[in-house]
Amino acid sequence: MNAAIIFGLLFGLMLTGMPVSISLGLTVLTFLFTMTQVPIESVALKLFTGIEKFEIMAIPFFIVAGNFLTHGGVARRMIAFASSMVGHWYGGLGLAAVMACALFAAVSGSSPATVVAIGSILLPAMVKQGFPVRFGTGVIASSGALGILIPPSIVMVMYAVSTNSSVGALFIAGIIPGAVLAGMLGFTTWWRARRGNYPRLARVPWGQRLRAFRESVWGLMLIVIVMGGIYTGIFTPTEAAAMSAVYAFLVAVFVYRDMPLSRVPKVLLDSANMSAMLLYIITNAVLFSFLLTYENIPQALAQWLVDTGLGPVGFLAVVNILLLLAGNIMEPTSIILITAPILFPVAMALGIDPIHFGVMITVNMEIGMITPPVGLNLYVASGIARLGMTETTIACLPWLITMLVFLVLITYWPALSLWLPRTLGMLG
Amino acid sequence: MMRVLDHLEEWLITFLIGAATLLIFTAVVHRYALGFAANWGLDATYDWLFQFNLGWAQELCIYMFVWMAKFGAAYGVRTGIHVGVDVLINNLRESFRAKVVLFGLLAGALFTGTVGTFGAEFVWRMSQTDSISPDLEVPVWIVYLAIPLGSYLMCFRFLQVAWSFWKTGDLPEHEHAHVEGLEEEVEKSQVGGTQEEVLIGEAFELTEEREHIHGGLSEADWEKQHPHAKRDEEGRP
Repeated sequence: MNAAIIFGLLFGLMLTGMPVSISLGLTVLTFLFTMTQVPIESVALKLFTGIEKFEIMAIPFFIVAGNFLTHGGVARRMIAFASSMVGHWYGGLGLAAVMACALFAAVSGSSPATVVAIGSILLPAMVKQGFPVRFGTGVIASSGALGILIPPSIVMVMYAVSTNSSVGALFIAGIIPGAVLAGMLGFTTWWRARRGNYPRLARVPWGQRLRAFRESVWGLMLIVIVMGGIYTGIFTPTEAAAMSAVYAFLVAVFVYRDMPLSRVPKVLLDSANMSAMLLYIITNAVLFSFLLTYENIPQALAQWLVDTGLGPVGFLAVVNILLLLAGNIMEPTSIILITAPILFPVAMALGIDPIHFGVMITVNMEIGMITPPVGLNLYVASGIARLGMTETTIACLPWLITMLVFLVLITYWPALSLWLPRTLGMLG
Repeated sequence: MMRVLDHLEEWLITFLIGAATLLIFTAVVHRYALGFAANWGLDATYDWLFQFNLGWAQELCIYMFVWMAKFGAAYGVRTGIHVGVDVLINNLRESFRAKVVLFGLLAGALFTGTVGTFGAEFVWRMSQTDSISPDLEVPVWIVYLAIPLGSYLMCFRFLQVAWSFWKTGDLPEHEHAHVEGLEEEVEKSQVGGTQEEVLIGEAFELTEEREHIHGGLSEADWEKQHPHAKRDEEGRP
């Protein structure tokens, strides 16, 4: 009963379009003031302690790192490298777009920004070469979502924080699925390009490839620093994030010289703006999940689901559908922070691995970026391609279907995500 | 007056995020330099480094980010970065939509105002005790001062945005897909600034390319011979 009231209130408030963080907070306050005798003091304390975890601080650092490297110059280098590597196959620039998006999204951390950065440079070139606009738009809008899965990923940190999982293990677990998904998107691109007989580029000699690689390697090293640092235990994930932020600053300002020193405060301000927004949602989501726990809702739900005999297979299917629906109207951070505390205990009760569960949720969030009506990538892509929303959505369909196939794969084949962290001994 | 507050806010959060980054960076470098000096028998360096105990860095970083988060959230109201679910309200009649938006903004002000008051009470009670933080050993109430200050500021920002929305009907909107320095790159990739949108300076020369792809035919001839290459544009799947 209380659960119904809490969620009814939350959805009611959210539908008025007020910030998700405010809806969460107001739900908690309203419920506490009118329905229960939870001492307000303990709530007040939660408000302050909600974000006092060192692990959470990885988020602002990754955002700083990402913002330094979310630069047109970095995008150009990644495109040059990608097209020199795969441009001569069927799909040409389309295939290069998938690879460039994967690389850029991995270092930039923002998937709409990836679509803009890669799209604005590559899409006109593709159209000029004779690719249909739809094809180019579809490739770029969907590949832009790859960054969420390929570490470092802020969405993964969110999941780890709200479920007390290991950030490091989650990052490592994302590597193989990220590569597989990039491969599958690439395959779809290749296959459609082959059927449509779209233009290809000339094979590029290895010397030129090496040069393109050397140009872009500074950006790519970011992933190596984070993953290497965490895996070898040199850094904690938060320290790795801070190191990558300083590294990204050095690369952007001194190595690539894309950014004058005078623009650094602006980048920091933008990063602070974004991080503060995320941290504010976290604070309120912590409050919300405290209320849920206090009312025993996750446990009751877990018990109920176990009793209905749904089993892991059915449960994962239900979770996927739920998250895909949520992905249609909300952005990833809010979805994870609201649903993870509820779904996680159930998943544990059914014996699902927390890391596998996290990777699966992350893939769902990726798909949410390209499903209407609120897929951010769709908006951005329709902007640069000057296509309507409906057309952009249709343009993304082949890749959307690919992603859904991948989602089924990742859901029911845990080894895909768990093999690497297990082999590296990162799972307890 | 307003201008000063705006700048102070921006300056504060910029400083906090930058300083926290440098702080953790320094702490990590320090830790490894210490280990390095010990391993290689650089005793003087070791002793010098050892004077600096950076054990408090982690705690300070957290506090800096808590302050950054509280004031940044207020700044975020001004820049419109706090997003909600607007699918429903965007499909409402304009006059009704305005009322709902205003309700949302005022609800934000109510929530942050309430939290600010909670925070103020909490800080007041803390200031009566002599509890101090574990590593830095500063009075806890000073650390938590961020909550009432930040929340009241945020409340003020909500009212400010609500007021200007009431007056002008405009809401601040955040650009989610901003990419620094992209214009220059796109311009660079177009030949001589003309409208010809062609990538240059990449690892390939397009003109040559097209001839290569089209087997030496001109663009028009190639299209005549390969009508299917363009079919997707005409709407066929």
